[in-house]
Amino acid sequence: MKPILSSFLQMLKSVKRDRMLVAACVAPLLVGIAIKYAIPFMEEILIAQTNRREILRPYYGLFDIFFSMITSAMFCFAAAMVLLEEHDDHIESYCSITPLGKTGYLISRIFLPAFAAFLMTGILLPIFHLTPLPPAMTFFFSLTGNLQGVIIALLVVTLSTNKLEGMAVTKIASVTILGALVPYFLPEPLQYTLAFLPSFWVGKSVCDQKLIYMLPAILETAIWILILLKRFRRKMP
Amino acid sequence: MIQVNNLSFSYTKQPFISGMSFSVSHGEIFGFLGPSGAGKSTLQKILIGMITAYQGSAMVNGVECKKRTKDFYEDIGVDFEFSTMYEKLTAKENLQFFSSLYEKKSRSIEELLEMVGLDRDGDKRVSDYSKGMKSRLNFIKALLHDPLLLCLDEPTSGLDPTNSRMMKDMILAEKAKGKTILLTTHNMQDAAELCDRVAFIVGGKICALDSPHSLIMSKGAAAVTYTWLENGEHSANCPIDRISSDERLKGLISENRLQSIHSGEPTLNDIFMDITGRTLV
Ligand SMILES: Nc1ncnc2c1ncn2[C@@H]1O[C@H](COP(=O)(O)OP(=O)(O)O)[C@@H](O)[C@H]1O
Ligand SMILES: [Mg+2]
Repeated sequence: MKPILSSFLQMLKSVKRDRMLVAACVAPLLVGIAIKYAIPFMEEILIAQTNRREILRPYYGLFDIFFSMITSAMFCFAAAMVLLEEHDDHIESYCSITPLGKTGYLISRIFLPAFAAFLMTGILLPIFHLTPLPPAMTFFFSLTGNLQGVIIALLVVTLSTNKLEGMAVTKIASVTILGALVPYFLPEPLQYTLAFLPSFWVGKSVCDQKLIYMLPAILETAIWILILLKRFRRKMP
Repeated sequence: MIQVNNLSFSYTKQPFISGMSFSVSHGEIFGFLGPSGAGKSTLQKILIGMITAYQGSAMVNGVECKKRTKDFYEDIGVDFEFSTMYEKLTAKENLQFFSSLYEKKSRSIEELLEMVGLDRDGDKRVSDYSKGMKSRLNFIKALLHDPLLLCLDEPTSGLDPTNSRMMKDMILAEKAKGKTILLTTHNMQDAAELCDRVAFIVGGKICALDSPHSLIMSKGAAAVTYTWLENGEHSANCPIDRISSDERLKGLISENRLQSIHSGEPTLNDIFMDITGRTLV
């Protein structure tokens, strides 16, 4: 346990030294404030201007979904950047021949940040949500959102070889979040073409108000993570 | 300390490392000598548990390498071919971090830095280090947790004579402390100077294994080469242990007619060529 903790703290130091990564880690707070106060405010203005009863309100669920993913996405992005930088310095090779081991290294770089994001989301979501959120929903949101971050992190580290590529891949990998939009905007049979994205099921769960759709979301996430982990291990044996 | 029995491994479908068997005892410096691509680093990676998909047996410190647990690494120190340091951090920050990965109490970082002449550079970033300084720093990183076994991959390659000398002295100092040391090299002088025993490795196989001295002796004793003038220059050889029966040489000496005379010992390089039919490059 001590080596994993040491390794995690070392990552925090690396994050602290990089302004972009610090910004990424405080971004969820700013986004949360923006969602909580700016969105309803905009809705009021829009309604006053257009004389319609509601414009953004039907999509409030979507904002909650994105907020549930953003903390994890940001934390995991920061971790992935640190990992890529360490890869240039062959740090993970060295760690693999210390008591930390490759597994401990991965835990400290991917799963601990995701877990931290899970706790963080559990705290922030009840503060910044827009739709009524029962505790069960908060839990599933934090869980799926945070596993989504793991997927992004793993995509980034398997598909890129340095920090610069990593940032480009992050943008592409973040598209996997957009699956949540699909159930809102695509009609029934057509929308299932994107059902392979775990975020699709999260979106569907909120859109249709059915908790059961969290099940395929979690199942698919697990499959994604397992496949990516396998590829990652092949890349960094 | 190390027992390897009928070890085989390959990255591809073609056989590579095959049927290797040897053992290394406590306190020994054991060298893998061979040209680049021979499989020296691969073999070392198996012994430090980085490659586990091998057949046969490789035991280090009583543990089968593919079944290693994290305790396995409390007693193994590794110095890779390349630097494995945070370039952006200082030497001290690096050493502090890596020592925190062990349960064991770390050796004093100040003392280690002083030992390799880096005591005044401890607060410099590693990216500002020269190649020689980096290899000294990576070497002491492998000593942080005071391991029983040191695995050094090409510890002297690419170093200038001064740094190479320092590195060899440090390796010998660790041996004097009773450490077992495994090193790979394609430099036969280093192998001859450092190793108690060397294994010649070519194409994933061990072609010979003995002490450098015995290997050199196996080729026979040193020879004397001499030249003289007699209707032009002539030269001849004679094994050094049969000089007294070389009548021509004796005659030339008594008549003071020798143009030149010198003796030459076969080097490990000659032996390597003899046994493997390959040079060490
Ligand atoms: N990770 C790897 N995957 C596939 N082939 C490899 C890998 N590492 C080394 N090799 C190949 O194995 C051979 C031996 O490499 P290596 O053990 O590094 O040799 P040496 O250290 O003796 O120079 C080389 O032909 C090299 O290309
Ligand atoms: Mg090598």
